[in-house]
Amino acid sequence: MQKVISINLNGNAYQVEETGYAALVAYLEGAQRQLKDNPDRAEIIADLEQAIAEKCRRFLNAHKSVVTDGEVDQIIREMGPVDAEPGSGEQAGATGGAKAGGPKRLYLLREGAMLAGVCNGMAAYLHIDPTIVRIVFVLLAILTKGVFFFVYVVLAVVIPPANTPEERAAAYGETFNAQELIDRAKRTYAGFTASHGRFGDWGRNWGRHWRRQERQWRRQFDRSMRSRRWESAPAFVPPAGYTARVVAGVMVPLLTVVSALLFWVGAYAVLSLATERQAFGVPLSDDLPLWAGILFLVFLYQSAAWPLHAARRASYHALGGPHYAAVAALDGLLSVGVGVCVVWFAYQYMPEVRELLRTLPDVWDGMRR
Amino acid sequence: MSVTEKFSAIRKGLLEFLILRIIASDKVYVAEMLTRLKTTEFATQEGTLYPLLSKMRREGLVDYEWQESDAGPPRKYYELTSKGKSQLAELNDYWKYINTTISQLGR
Repeated sequence: MQKVISINLNGNAYQVEETGYAALVAYLEGAQRQLKDNPDRAEIIADLEQAIAEKCRRFLNAHKSVVTDGEVDQIIREMGPVDAEPGSGEQAGATGGAKAGGPKRLYLLREGAMLAGVCNGMAAYLHIDPTIVRIVFVLLAILTKGVFFFVYVVLAVVIPPANTPEERAAAYGETFNAQELIDRAKRTYAGFTASHGRFGDWGRNWGRHWRRQERQWRRQFDRSMRSRRWESAPAFVPPAGYTARVVAGVMVPLLTVVSALLFWVGAYAVLSLATERQAFGVPLSDDLPLWAGILFLVFLYQSAAWPLHAARRASYHALGGPHYAAVAALDGLLSVGVGVCVVWFAYQYMPEVRELLRTLPDVWDGMRR
Repeated sequence: MSVTEKFSAIRKGLLEFLILRIIASDKVYVAEMLTRLKTTEFATQEGTLYPLLSKMRREGLVDYEWQESDAGPPRKYYELTSKGKSQLAELNDYWKYINTTISQLGR
């Protein structure tokens, strides 16, 4: 099952699947960018939308009302890249560059990733084999006695994952779709056989190698399409900008650690209030009952924690997009980790806390009586 | 570099000339131009053709009029202006001249 989005193409309403929608938006935005200096921009965009609409109609009939992702891909391939300077011979080479589109950015790439996709994303950014990046990471982790592993964890949290086709394209710094990948590899292969002789042993081996590669790419692409389908969130969350996501990447763990610490400080205050009728050196006034003191502490804690929680929620959305739930779950684990560390640290180094924990059963008995 | 790659810039440069020729022969809309080019060496796509046609219209070579179609919304049918016709005549002559030069030079 895939979410469907209604679009208006030059006055025609169509329903397309979510990923296909993202691809269309990327295509038309690319067209806008290419034509930004063109006085007839609005008219050309309207013409292009009309052409897309007519192609969409080709895929629809009385029993089929939605244009699928694959069909959108095909439509965009048929439309071809929008040419800013048509008809001038000198532009032949430049259009190749113009097709490259948006800026290159570092993203986590989940497709074909071993862990979080840090090395994969870096490899895409640097245009090298991910295995090389992975080996470098492992070597560094060994040389630094494991410290570098934490660098990996920090990077995995801070670098935003590439969720949409457009972001994946930005990760490579160029247009990314399966066909283009295959075309590129085919060109390389054609050059290779031309220089080595198609019928030599080398050519044959490479032919086999190439076919295996092609199958693998197709499989990988299918898998990524499928996983995108299954993982998409029920609600449509507009994707946050790159900077917002980097900020969110830094903020989420920070906010989580602060909230967890706050919780444990609050818990300690409540405990010491219950056992010694004082919290952080402030004694509970004699004419106030214990429950009122605890209520006051809870109120204090809530007023400090609530804005932190709200900020965390918002950051999950910005960071995770459709993978919102996964980010929230990971963050929950971090909270538990901080809690364990705090309790262990307090038990090891704060005699009062150890004392307090030892008296807990007595307090419990006292409260029951 | 393959033969088609070597001539890719030339093909691109000739596209405007060919569009003028197609429009001169008949009143056409974009989808028809694409079909007629599709089987040739000059196959192109909407992404190229629409910006090219808008440029040619700005230069006063072509103009279009809306015509109702049996299936779907009205279409833009393109035709040559008088300026476009004279330009096409010049281009035809020049193309013949280039061809003669090529056939006369070397072998």
